[in-house]
Amino acid sequence: MSLLYGLLWRFLLALVHANRGLVSWFRVRLPCWKDGLWQGIRTALLLPLTLIGVSDQPKKRHQNPGDTGTGAVGRSWRWQSDLACLEKLPVHIGLLVTEEELSYTDIATLVVWCMAVGISYISVYDTCGIFQKKNSCVLEEIIRQQQELLGVDPVKYNVGTLSSDSDSLQHHVVSCRPTVKLLSSEDGKQRIVQAAQQLCRSVEKKVMSSKDINVSMLDIILRDSRKIPDPDLVLKFGPVDSTLGFLPWHIRLTEFISLPSHKNVSYEQLLGALQRYGSCHQRLGQ
Amino acid sequence: MSWIREGELNLLERFSANVLKAGPMPKHVAFIMDGNRRFARKKNMECLKGHMQGFNKLAETLRWCKHLNIQEVTVYAFSIENFKRTKEEVDGLMELARQKFVKLLEERENLKKHGVCIRVLGDLNMLPLDLQQLIAKSVLTTKSHNQCFLNVCFSYTSRYEITNAVREMAWGVEEGLLKASDVSESLLNECLYSNNSPNPDLLIRTSGEVRLSDFLLWQSSHSCIVFQSVLWPEYSFWNLCEAILRYQLNYKSIQKARDLNREQQTLMQLESDCACVADLLQNHGNGKPVDAQRRQEALQHYISCREERIQDFLQALKHKRDSYFSDLWREDASS
Repeated sequence: MSLLYGLLWRFLLALVHANRGLVSWFRVRLPCWKDGLWQGIRTALLLPLTLIGVSDQPKKRHQNPGDTGTGAVGRSWRWQSDLACLEKLPVHIGLLVTEEELSYTDIATLVVWCMAVGISYISVYDTCGIFQKKNSCVLEEIIRQQQELLGVDPVKYNVGTLSSDSDSLQHHVVSCRPTVKLLSSEDGKQRIVQAAQQLCRSVEKKVMSSKDINVSMLDIILRDSRKIPDPDLVLKFGPVDSTLGFLPWHIRLTEFISLPSHKNVSYEQLLGALQRYGSCHQRLGQ
Repeated sequence: MSWIREGELNLLERFSANVLKAGPMPKHVAFIMDGNRRFARKKNMECLKGHMQGFNKLAETLRWCKHLNIQEVTVYAFSIENFKRTKEEVDGLMELARQKFVKLLEERENLKKHGVCIRVLGDLNMLPLDLQQLIAKSVLTTKSHNQCFLNVCFSYTSRYEITNAVREMAWGVEEGLLKASDVSESLLNECLYSNNSPNPDLLIRTSGEVRLSDFLLWQSSHSCIVFQSVLWPEYSFWNLCEAILRYQLNYKSIQKARDLNREQQTLMQLESDCACVADLLQNHGNGKPVDAQRRQEALQHYISCREERIQDFLQALKHKRDSYFSDLWREDASS
């Protein structure tokens, strides 16, 4: 009997995998399909919407902005009109990539789009910290795409990693320019442990008592005195439904929205996620 | 309504449960039981009625979990932030909790029969004293049961829990039990309210909200997180099955990430130990070079001393926490 159950379980899992595969195949191959048809296919596949997150856009795709040479004026008008249809915009966005194969080009494109719609802080995370290790590759790509897509002087934007010297990053606060941070799991729990060690050392030196430690004290240390707000929105790319160690302290009130992959992600998908974020209401315990 | 629901699954449910059980099953599931008030509004009921329905659903969910071999369940019952709600609702919720814990004590025989251990995680000091005493009594009565575990997060937020863990470690330093350099990821884990439980494998939030709202932020960093749109009082067996299926789809990738994290932790600990030993040798060796063997011996010695310190500290912490509960009980008995 258990053999039968085992076989059935495998069959069930294979079915779900096949569904996922088919859906993403359709999305890549047939991007221009109309709403009704697209909905129809999904219903036909009997796929629970939740299994693929918010991967699908009800709107028909249109051309990526910046793809064609419409000129910088036209583009900036486009970003403006996109902004107008958003109820609210995150101040700090996290791009959490759970896939194993990473694409520097695609992540750079996402970062540049986020900058263009006016998001001030952008954190990029992957489990193994590859983006952080190869930061120069990512940063170069971002600068290249900034010129290509936005036609702006790259010096306007500041790019850094969280683990770099805090003094050198101090001017970001004053400058009000977008800040990009490349994060790894070490910026998560390990940072909290370091903060705990720092406080324990103060107690060891009898500078303070253990009773003085409170939430806001820890929060100030973990904010690194750089006044970067907690991420309002995390876009999770890839099939894994987990935060995989992404800044545990900072995601208290963060909204999580999943997209199927960071590879070949379209501007419409990003905009759709931002619209969905715009419709989230927080009650803050009330 | 009782904490324990008797009864078997129906034929179809049993069949599906058996199919799911052929795959990897979560051992510990955490729930954010969201949507009680929206449910009440939808049904034109009083808000508190919605919360009561929510509790009944919890009892039902525990029954499903038992049949699905899920031994441990953690639920978010009341956040510290919820104290901001209207006085009427907060008082109502406290009264509901009072009733439920009284009921729990009445059902102690049944809980014993099923081996249900109940723990309450959170800062109890913020609650009315009589409720604190009831909770202490409930926790102590079911303490030795070991078939299944229910952790109720009450007057809880995750940031508060982490801060409290840091405070406990700082207390250890103050008492001379710990050194600041002994603080590590695994030690912090041991100082959380949830120190007796493994990290949850699956975290479920109902009612369509897509955030964690300060719940188990530390513990769920490698959990499968499933957001479902159903309101909590309407949660069904099939919703739970869907969440478990999602866990099974994610199982391999998450396991891999967990292993990687564990390796990193071990490496980090070794690095920290080496740094401490290097410091010690520098200070005591008057700057003379130390050969590799002596360094290795010193490292081994340091590690065993550190482990001993941590054991002693954790023992003291456990004692401190246990006596908090037994004092509350004693106070209640004497008053």
